[in-house]
Amino acid sequence: MSTVLASAPAAPVAPPPRDRRFSLPILLLVIAGGLVALAAVRAITGANDLTSHGAVRAALQSAVPIGLAGLGGLWAERAGVVNIGLEGQMIFGTWFGAWAGFHWGPWAGVLAAVAGGALGGLLHALATVTFGVDHIISGVAITILAGGATRYLSQLAFQGLPGGGVTQSPPVPELPRLSVPGASVLDRVERAHWFLASDLAGILRGALTDVSTLTIVAALLVPLTFWVLWRTAFGLRLRSVGENPHAAESLGVNVYRYKYYGVVISGALAGLGGAFLSMVASSIYRESQTGGRGYIGLAAMIFGNWRPGGLASGALLFGYTDALQLRGGSQSVHALLLFLAFVLAAVGLWQVLRGRRTVGAVAIGAAVLVGLWYATTDAIPAEFVQAAPHITTLVVLALASQRLRMPAADGQRYRRGG
Amino acid sequence: MRRSRGMKLLATVGVAIVALGTAACGGKGNSNSGSGTDSGSKKTVKVGLAYDIGGRGDKSFNDAAAAGLEKARSELNIQTRELEANKDETENDKLARLKLLCEGGYNPVIAVGFAYAGDKDTGPIASAAKACPDTKFAIVDDASVSAPNLANLVFAEEQGSFLVGAAAALKSKSGNVGFIGGCQVDLIKKFEAGYEAGAKAVKADIKVQAKYLSTIADKCSGFNDPAKGQTTAEGMYDQGADVVYQAAGGSGTGVFKAAKGKGKLAIGVDSDQYNTVTPDLKDVIMTSMLKRVDTAVYDFVKGMGEGKFTAGKTVFDLKVEGVGYSTSGGQVDDVKAKLDDFRKQIIDGKITVPEKPAAG
Repeated sequence: MSTVLASAPAAPVAPPPRDRRFSLPILLLVIAGGLVALAAVRAITGANDLTSHGAVRAALQSAVPIGLAGLGGLWAERAGVVNIGLEGQMIFGTWFGAWAGFHWGPWAGVLAAVAGGALGGLLHALATVTFGVDHIISGVAITILAGGATRYLSQLAFQGLPGGGVTQSPPVPELPRLSVPGASVLDRVERAHWFLASDLAGILRGALTDVSTLTIVAALLVPLTFWVLWRTAFGLRLRSVGENPHAAESLGVNVYRYKYYGVVISGALAGLGGAFLSMVASSIYRESQTGGRGYIGLAAMIFGNWRPGGLASGALLFGYTDALQLRGGSQSVHALLLFLAFVLAAVGLWQVLRGRRTVGAVAIGAAVLVGLWYATTDAIPAEFVQAAPHITTLVVLALASQRLRMPAADGQRYRRGG
Repeated sequence: MRRSRGMKLLATVGVAIVALGTAACGGKGNSNSGSGTDSGSKKTVKVGLAYDIGGRGDKSFNDAAAAGLEKARSELNIQTRELEANKDETENDKLARLKLLCEGGYNPVIAVGFAYAGDKDTGPIASAAKACPDTKFAIVDDASVSAPNLANLVFAEEQGSFLVGAAAALKSKSGNVGFIGGCQVDLIKKFEAGYEAGAKAVKADIKVQAKYLSTIADKCSGFNDPAKGQTTAEGMYDQGADVVYQAAGGSGTGVFKAAKGKGKLAIGVDSDQYNTVTPDLKDVIMTSMLKRVDTAVYDFVKGMGEGKFTAGKTVFDLKVEGVGYSTSGGQVDDVKAKLDDFRKQIIDGKITVPEKPAAG
């Protein structure tokens, strides 16, 4: 204690070096630069789907379940529990959402999905916190259990209903969708295909019109999570349990209870993601419709360095490339190559300016190679197109997030008084 | 002590999980005897049927097989037993299911779906046929495995797809149509190939957008992902398509929803989907490519009752009405004459429909 006091009288003002984050102006500058580059790529390649409102809407649709699963992962891991059962909790969410949604209306479905996911989280908490089971094993078991349990429940609840069966639910009523008025102007601007203006119009139109209420809820949950975890006493205690449970306990924090809070909320968020899948993105429950989105959410969280803003951008990046590959296929992904070349060149220049010549040279070399690939080909093989979201996420992860730091006691078994 | 109690509890939970999983996925025995024992003259046929993933209630492929068996049961003197598959099961599970049926005295045993094929020498159906040499087997949708006691019931999906492709081109105003496959495998590529050929036979310069939702690498998850189906179809409609044909199983509802949202048309697959979707989606389903799995199963069982069995490939094509197109909803009535002309040309051999898409 005394050394800290002696050595750092002026330290509180300067940000700690390991938490090197972009300040707001720089962040806005980067986003603006990215937009201009994207607009330029669209103008050069003619791949108009890059910034069309349809692509943006599809990107949001694809990003929300991943983002919610990622938020769920964040809550659990900040409390020191690895929740690889997110996939299973999401499956519970899809099933309970469809079931209650069919019987009692969409909002009841949302609540039931949250409850179902939370139940999965509770099971995980019981196994890992109370019984000290290895987190991975418990998580995998929950995912397997979810698959079997929902099949069994479908047999009981859906078989015989119109449109239902062992593998799918009857159609589920949809949640209301909202639009900001005055979007018809945006429509006209987007159709004109002007440089930058049309791109902005397309993005705004996609993000502001015909948006599901659950998308808005999901978007609000990101800042809410940040506020709760980083700005309240409850959040501080929950994070302390994930960083150093022994110290937290010595200060009177009930470690088990906070771990329970974290993991149950985690399951609830994953369940909400499941509800989005079965009630907004498809309005039907289908066996194994989660398709690994829980795991991708976990990856988005790591991508975001265990922070809400980071994981949201990871989910959006994945959702955007996924939407592009599903919608436009080869042409849009081919155009993305040029964008990737721009980004790599910018990163390379930045690194060179900061004096890291080797990294910069590698990035610029990669930019040239990708640019050549774009220039010498007309299309990308279909197999590569399908993998584009995963590859993009990996590339960005490799370039941007070289200093990941997980909560210090994450994934470790904790015994009270141990 | 604490620790051992924890372990005991863990073990209990583990056992419970396994037990629940087994209960959830276990088979559903169904030993109805058809018309009882009143006739007595013909010997009773005991038919075993093993479903593909999806099982009864999928409103499509498996339900069609079930319907064929149901028809056979109502008309013939048979006993049946139906077993369902689990997702993520191994080939050993499939083999065990087939052996359970053949060792239980069921003859013939019908395996629904190419998932039962696997390796042509060591896969589930090949091994089961070897283990029960006196039982007659049938596999739907696979022609790669051959055994003296195995019938391969396959379909000329490309011929049916040709007709709906022609229908799409005749109905399209934009000269731009789409195809969405659930998984990039040879079987689904036959649908694409026929569809494209049919569309081009009507209009040589038509644009055919094609997209697969998944590959074998991600376990063909695209058959169960309506959200992806919808996103993909919306993309195709945004790029000018006005008819989209889906061969994507459970993802198909997403395609229909996209068609509804955009005010465009879609084409169903396997069964007459006009009759299986919810009323609000009926008007987007222009037609469906019919694949008469029910006919195949019924014919096979009927043949067995009469003591007839043909090992090897039996193709259900346009000629025997194993494939075709539906007219429910009346949206293709105005082009029916042209479609029937194509149908005749294919049956007469004047048109040969490719089984592989032009682009590979």
